[in-house]
Amino acid sequence: MLMHVIHMEHDVFKANDKIAEKNRKKLDKHQVFSVNVMGAIGSGKTTLIEEAVKYLKEKYRIAVIAGDVIAEMDASRFRKLGIPTIPVNTGKECHLDAKLIEKALNEIDLENTDLLIIENVGNLICPVDFKLGEHLRVVIVSVTEGDDIILKHPMIFKTSELAIINKVDVANAVDVNSEKMREDILTLNPNVPVILTSKHDWESLETWISFLELGLKKAQKDKIY
Amino acid sequence: MHELSIACEILEQVTNTAAAHGAVKVKHVTLQMGRLSHTNAEQLSFCFKAIAEETIAEDADFIVEMVPPSLECECGYTGAVDESQIRENSELKSELLAYIAAMDCPICGKSAQITGGRELIIKSIEIETKDDN
Repeated sequence: MLMHVIHMEHDVFKANDKIAEKNRKKLDKHQVFSVNVMGAIGSGKTTLIEEAVKYLKEKYRIAVIAGDVIAEMDASRFRKLGIPTIPVNTGKECHLDAKLIEKALNEIDLENTDLLIIENVGNLICPVDFKLGEHLRVVIVSVTEGDDIILKHPMIFKTSELAIINKVDVANAVDVNSEKMREDILTLNPNVPVILTSKHDWESLETWISFLELGLKKAQKDKIY
Repeated sequence: MHELSIACEILEQVTNTAAAHGAVKVKHVTLQMGRLSHTNAEQLSFCFKAIAEETIAEDADFIVEMVPPSLECECGYTGAVDESQIRENSELKSELLAYIAAMDCPICGKSAQITGGRELIIKSIEIETKDDN
């Protein structure tokens, strides 16, 4: 018997990153601005996406990829708004990965899409390590998760490009200081924009929606036609 | 918990590489795991051993080397985080949080970019081949 050492240097996450890069190139080619919406279970991801879709669908062609462990509850909510929706069931997995998005992209008419919103599986941990090929990474938490939720999940706030604290209208009822949550996010990631939202406060929703629209416009302007 | 699917990916890479080199057995699998990655070394090792049963990797030692975060700052600094800053923050119970609290550039104090510490690399394997191979 002979022994050998073989140097592999194979990065498991890089393998995902490579597929994510391919997804990104494909989206760029078709001039699609894509957003990865991550967040806790019940933080209001689906609702905030719905509100954005309702407002933006007259101006832009929107598609949604709805990630869920099982079932298609979220997907059917988006379908009701009359936009192309691809449900992705991860089965046992706690996050979407680039391979699942690669497959879902084949089912979308990218040539006739301006904005692709990807709703990740409700989880503040696992989605962090898996890039999808998105242009914008958004994390949503709500006050009902408690104001220590940010520091318990530092990496997702450190690596996101927009952070939303939702359901601020009930902050007092659940004894939470939403300003402390904002400060915690800025401690972890000083340059990230933070938006405080409530479903019942249109102005706050408008801030979130205009942020999306700004990214969308910028992406379209940057394209070389 | 996504250690099982990661373990599946590792086993596939390891057994493919081992087979390509004519291995009859895999003796060691050495990984490098970034301290900022959301992967648990013990769970990963457990999952790997469970799925490696009845493969050439079933008796392999599963070694995980932890990789500390590294930084890049606009002031030009590239390198490790300031370990003394981590110790100053020792009241922080979570190691991950302690590292993130230390993500400021040790030279100029600005918030720096993370360039390493999030990886999960199959570094090397040690295999056994037949004499005549």
